[in-house]
Amino acid sequence: MNKRLSAIILGVGVALVFSCSGKDRDGEVIHFWQFWDVAFVEPLVREFEAKHPGVRVEIEQLTWKSGLEKIQAAVASGTQPDLCELGSTWVPRFSYEGVLEDLTAVYNEIADSFLMWESAMWKGRVYGLPWVQGSRVLFYNKSLFRSAGLDPEEPPRTWKDLLDAAKRIHALGTDIHGFGLNLGERYVLYKKFMAFAWGNGGRILGDDGSVLFDSPENLEALEFYLELADYSLKEKQEVLDHYFKSGKLGIQISGAWNLRNYSIEAPGLEYGVALVPKPSEEKGVHASFAGAEILIVFKNSKKKESALELARFLHDYPRARALSVSEQSVFPAAKRALSDSTFLRDAKRRVFVEQAFTSRSAPAHPGWIEMEDLINRSLEEVLYGRKEPAGALKKAAAGVKAIVTKYE
Amino acid sequence: MSRSNTIKRLLVITGLLAVFVVMAYPLVWMINLSMRTGGESTIRFYREVWQAGPFDRYFLNSTIVVTLVLIGNILFCSMAGYAFARYRIPAGKILFFLVISTIMLPKQVILVPMYILMQKLHLLDTYAALTLPFLADPFNIFLIRQYLVSIPPDCEEAARLEGAGEFTVLFRVVMPVLKPALAVVAIHTSLINWNSFLFPFILTNSTSMRTLPVGLALLSQGQHSIDWGHMMAGAVISALPVVVAFLIFQRQIISGLTSGMTR
Amino acid sequence: MEPTRIIQTKRRGLPPPLMFLLPWAVVYAAFFVFPFVFSFLLSFLSYNPLSTQETSWTGISNFSRLFEDPDFQQALRNTLLFVIVTVPLTTAAALGLALLLRERVPGRDLFKAGFFLPSILSMVVISLLFKLFYAPTGALNGALTTIGLGGHPWLTDPRTALPAIMLMDVWAAVGYYAVIFFAAFTSIPDELYEAASLEGSGTWSTFRYVTFPMLKPVIGFVVVINTIRSFQIFIEVFVMTQGGPLGSTNTLVLYLYETAFRKLDYGYASVIAYVVFLLSGVFSIFAIRRLKPSYTAAKKAV
Repeated sequence: MNKRLSAIILGVGVALVFSCSGKDRDGEVIHFWQFWDVAFVEPLVREFEAKHPGVRVEIEQLTWKSGLEKIQAAVASGTQPDLCELGSTWVPRFSYEGVLEDLTAVYNEIADSFLMWESAMWKGRVYGLPWVQGSRVLFYNKSLFRSAGLDPEEPPRTWKDLLDAAKRIHALGTDIHGFGLNLGERYVLYKKFMAFAWGNGGRILGDDGSVLFDSPENLEALEFYLELADYSLKEKQEVLDHYFKSGKLGIQISGAWNLRNYSIEAPGLEYGVALVPKPSEEKGVHASFAGAEILIVFKNSKKKESALELARFLHDYPRARALSVSEQSVFPAAKRALSDSTFLRDAKRRVFVEQAFTSRSAPAHPGWIEMEDLINRSLEEVLYGRKEPAGALKKAAAGVKAIVTKYE
Repeated sequence: MSRSNTIKRLLVITGLLAVFVVMAYPLVWMINLSMRTGGESTIRFYREVWQAGPFDRYFLNSTIVVTLVLIGNILFCSMAGYAFARYRIPAGKILFFLVISTIMLPKQVILVPMYILMQKLHLLDTYAALTLPFLADPFNIFLIRQYLVSIPPDCEEAARLEGAGEFTVLFRVVMPVLKPALAVVAIHTSLINWNSFLFPFILTNSTSMRTLPVGLALLSQGQHSIDWGHMMAGAVISALPVVVAFLIFQRQIISGLTSGMTR
Repeated sequence: MEPTRIIQTKRRGLPPPLMFLLPWAVVYAAFFVFPFVFSFLLSFLSYNPLSTQETSWTGISNFSRLFEDPDFQQALRNTLLFVIVTVPLTTAAALGLALLLRERVPGRDLFKAGFFLPSILSMVVISLLFKLFYAPTGALNGALTTIGLGGHPWLTDPRTALPAIMLMDVWAAVGYYAVIFFAAFTSIPDELYEAASLEGSGTWSTFRYVTFPMLKPVIGFVVVINTIRSFQIFIEVFVMTQGGPLGSTNTLVLYLYETAFRKLDYGYASVIAYVVFLLSGVFSIFAIRRLKPSYTAAKKAV
């Protein structure tokens, strides 16, 4: 009988043997965790290795949905990578917790050549290098513009133009919608609303950390947004993208991922892109939301020097450009993109590059994730008609204030 | 055959057919999604998915993991389920509660400690990490126990009277009776582990250790959009081996499931 | 645990039941004790894996937060509703389906395979599929429009989002549990049915007095397992609605997930995990008590 038992134990033992796979430790190995298809990143990394004999880079691809968990588990057990890509909304919390290497010196050297530094900053120090970015722009359907008696070569420039165009297109038929308004999902609502609020001079947090979410500028933007909602299809981003693709949505604010998808799935779709409209010709800016990907080096890394070298190599323009060209839905965070014919010769991509200059990302605050929940929820309540705009903004601002206090 | 019997059979078939249509509709639609682009029928998505990564390796890993876990579960869970059903164990109720408790705590909360543990044991990125914790699924222990308590232990006692040892009773007498339950165990264990994403993703790092669901998740993800064609083609690809296995083992599974019926 | 035997063993070494439990115990001790203790301790701590500061004890303050957290309470209500609706619905539908499958009709194997098909897919795939299926342009609205009914934004309307997900879950799970019931039918001795039919028992009373009592342990199993799983509903809402709109599909596990991994509040997340643990424990014990196995009772009943 004990023979059987030992057989079982042996079985477990055999399984354990599997675990002893050897890993060579000679030479320097940099562990780099990132989110893109390895096929896009590998050539860039191999180029780096060729320039730095003896250094080897191990790339691991993470998923957008579960990557953050893995990074946390790795930090918790002290096995974090040396170099890591983080979404711009995550960086401030990492900076705040003190696990990131201070890169202020690099910033001082190259600050002027790059956009999207904001999310990498905390308390005057800089903890990451902007790699690529993706801003949201206005998509409009040229055929629907024509049917509604609008000039398809004159996209709306102001709020008034936008509302007018949405109204006219919305009136074309019951299955045609004027504007696409994001609703029914988290993480997205503020990105679309804040485009109007920022354009109107509004903010969520002031530079000194004061809470400005219930400002008159934001209220004005929200009231306009609510007016726009009457001529809108209110749905999730994917659904809006899909309606736009099928030619049933006149105008929406969306990202560059559509450029590739539409060219494959709806080659006949006649559409244009433009900067997000500003409050009026005399007032405000063409603001929008932009998400950035930030390269960070973990403080505990034993290969900080090489990791930083790799970070700088990757975020340097030629590599950021190569990634953007193969990925097709992002653009380099470097300002040089605006003078690069790669992006300028396509009228649509050019708009994305231009829009980045007047785009913002989420406020750089370690409590942003909590704030985002409050802000999205209050916007949702307004758009579902559960709350008045002023009251909703006030309540969200009070919540944001409490979070700011918590992190002081 | 009486008339009322014919009517009953007709009703049953109609009912089954109606449910079948409802069950199959979304799946047919899924296959349709994976094979259409711009109104044309194509297998392009399948080809592209397959070429986008070392899918042969992912397949191999998934197969190894599922096989090891399957053998472990059939053996260990039969033993444990049998013990819980047939013996008076000291603190048996508490032990049984411990078994079920493993699935009562949301697994998200043990993700980080599990990673830390695997790291300390130097098991990260190995087959051991992908298999060892899953060798005795409480679901299976519970199922076997519940199945056994509804069967009188007559045969086992007869065998014991003839002088059979406990292991002989389990493997020669109980396991054959357990066939229908073991068929369910096999189906459950293979499906859970074949489709498992979160732990395999967290516990492995290198491409050569990735399983099929992880490989697919990394492939068809967009940051803000879903690539439906590739995504659904990937889903069909990963479901296909299960369907094939089901067809191959159908006879065994069905005979397992019906072994008692014609007794 | 009705039919138990005390086996007197004269052999040396571990007594057989403990030997049989050993492999499970080894796996449990090696891989689950540490994570369990760790997560339990977390509920009394302010811990986040990024923090470089000392972890501090917070006593029961993580627990008292539950009572003043409207998001938690909404998630609790949604989860309870989900469990209370889907568990009985799935069990009843699966039982009905299994009974239909018992009839020896042509194409039975095909039907069985068809019902089982959804279980082959992972929940992630099912959720993605239904996200599209329920979309305004999706197949469901397409079908509704064809038969003259209007479409509806199922997942964007706070009133229909949770029911839509419930229906999807029933769809996904029913075939699976039907197969388990079908397997359990085979453990019912034919003599019982013969005896019942000799006494002229009708379809319903045969079910009531033979099938049901004999199936009790397996029904108990299905109810407990499905309850435990339903309390942990996560992937569905994570993929389809992220808890929205207006929090109408926020569930306990989604909330704990967000609390831990997005807000880095691991202590509070552990507390929520143990709420799920407790609730599913209470519900399971209740179900097991109510559905106590009794093959002797069935025999007597005939």
